[in-house]
Amino acid sequence: MTPLLEIENLTAGYGRIDVLHDLTMAIGKYGNVGLFGPNGHGKTTLLRAISGLVRARGGSIKFNGTDIANQSARSIVGLGLIHSSQGNRLFPDLTIGECLALGAYTPRARAEEEVNRERTLKIFPKLGERWRQKVRTLSGGERQMVSIGTALMSSPRMLILDEPTLGLAPKIKEELCRAVLDISAGGIPLVVVEQDVEFLLELSQHLYLINHGQVAAEIKPGETMDHSDIMALYFGQ
Amino acid sequence: MMDAASQILFGGLFQGSLYAMMAVGLALIWTTIGVFNFSHGVMMMLGAYIAWQLNAWSIPYFIVLPLAMIIMAGAGWLLQASVVRPMIGRPNIVLVVVITTLAAASLIENGALEIWGPRSKQLPTLIAGNTEIFGIGVSLHQIAIIVITPIILLALWLFLNRTRLGLALRAVAQNEDASLLVGLNVTALYGLAFAIAAALAALAGIFMGGYRFMSPVMGADPLLKALIVVVFGGLSNISGPIFAAYLIGFFEAICSYYFGLYWTPALLFAVLILMLMVRPEGLFGSRARGLA
Repeated sequence: MTPLLEIENLTAGYGRIDVLHDLTMAIGKYGNVGLFGPNGHGKTTLLRAISGLVRARGGSIKFNGTDIANQSARSIVGLGLIHSSQGNRLFPDLTIGECLALGAYTPRARAEEEVNRERTLKIFPKLGERWRQKVRTLSGGERQMVSIGTALMSSPRMLILDEPTLGLAPKIKEELCRAVLDISAGGIPLVVVEQDVEFLLELSQHLYLINHGQVAAEIKPGETMDHSDIMALYFGQ
Repeated sequence: MMDAASQILFGGLFQGSLYAMMAVGLALIWTTIGVFNFSHGVMMMLGAYIAWQLNAWSIPYFIVLPLAMIIMAGAGWLLQASVVRPMIGRPNIVLVVVITTLAAASLIENGALEIWGPRSKQLPTLIAGNTEIFGIGVSLHQIAIIVITPIILLALWLFLNRTRLGLALRAVAQNEDASLLVGLNVTALYGLAFAIAAALAALAGIFMGGYRFMSPVMGADPLLKALIVVVFGGLSNISGPIFAAYLIGFFEAICSYYFGLYWTPALLFAVLILMLMVRPEGLFGSRARGLA
C-alpha cells in the first residue's frame, strides 16, 4: 500500500523559531497512524502544517499524490484531508446543528450531507439529542464529539484527530475511544495524536514518537514495544 | 402631556433608527474581524455623495438607493483589501487597523472634498411631504427612516441566522482557525463583512443627507455616535448595539425635551461611564465575540 500522506523533510514554525526540523514520515502505509510524544515538541504544529494553518518553510507534504505544502487550508479541506482540532477551540455560540452544517460547507461534502449526518449521529447519538444546544453549554466530552462530528460531516478521505480524549473523565474517555474505533472501522484512515499510548496501540500498529520537532522513533506493525521501552523513549535510558 | 409623550416617542424612534443604522455595520465588522473600522463614518459620507451624484445624473431615486448601496459594498470590499487584510495576523492588529482606517478615512474625506467641493449639498427626501401624528408635525422622510430601519435590520438578522453564508460569517466571528478547518474562505468572508457594513453605512448616509446638509466632514459625528452605541450595547454581538441604539435614541429624546439639547451629550456620557463601571462588557454583551 502506498502511503496516503507523505511528509518529506518538513520544516515549520512560528516567528523566528522553527518547531519542526527536517521531519519525514509516511502515513497510511499500514492503516491508521498514531503520534505521541511530550508536550511542546511539535505534534500540534505538525498537524497545523499538514492542514495549512502553519506555513511549511521547507520540504514537501503530499496527500494522495498532490503536493499540499503551503496550499490554502480551504483547498486541503476540499481534497478531503480533514483536521479536527481540540474540542475546546470550537464555535462557542453556534448550536450543534449549525456546527455540523458548517462541516458540510464545501461543495464536495454538501453533496453527501444527508449520508454524513446519518453516519455522524449513529456514532454520536448524543449530538442528535442536543441538536439545538449551543456549544458553550456543553461538557468537554460533548464538545469533543461536536468537533469530531463536524469533521465527519466534511466527508473525510483521511481524518486527523488532535488529542480527542484530552482532559476527559475516564468514562467519557472510554466512550470517545470507542467512537474513534468505530470511525476507523467505517473505513476512514486516521491520524491521531494522543498521550494515551495504550489507546493508540489499540487503534493502530504504526506509531511515531515526536520529540524536539523530529521523528524520534517509528514503531511499525509487528514491532512490539512495552511500557518500559516507551518510558525510555520519553525519559532516556 | 400628550404632546410631550409623542415628541419623545417620535424623537426616540427616529434617533434610535438612525443610530442603529450607523452602528450596525461597525458592530458587524468588530464581531467578525475583531477590528474597529474608523472609516465607517466617511463611508456614510461617501454613500451619501454617491447617491447625490447618481441623483444629479437624473437617475430615478428608487434606483439610486440600491445602486449607491451596491457601489458602496464594492468600496467596502476595496477598503478591506487595501488597509485591513494586509494587517491580519500581525500583533496589535486592533491598534494598527485603527490607524490604517483613520488614514483611509482622511484620504476618502479629502478625496470627496476634491471631487465635490466644500459647498453643502442635500439629498432628496425618501418621501416628500409632512404629516401630523398625535399633534406633532413630522416629515414623511423621518417616518420612512423609522419604518425602513427595522426592516433592514430584520433582513440582516435573517441573513445571519437563516442562511448558509450567514452561518459562515458567524462562524468566522467566533473562531478563525476552526473556520479554516471546515473549508471556509475566510478572506472572502472578511471582504463580505466589510461590503455589507459599507452598504449599511451608505444607507445611514442617505438617511442623513435627506434631512440635513451634507458636507465631506459629515461622517465624523455619526462615527462617534456609532462607537458610543457599540460600546454601550456590548461588543459581543450585533443585536446588543441595535437595542442600545434605540435606548440611546429614547434617552436623548427625553433629555432634550426636559433638559435641552445642550445638556444631552454630557448626560449621555455620564450614563455611559456609569454603565461601563458596572458592566464593562456592555449592556447586552458577554465576554465572547460573536454575531447575532
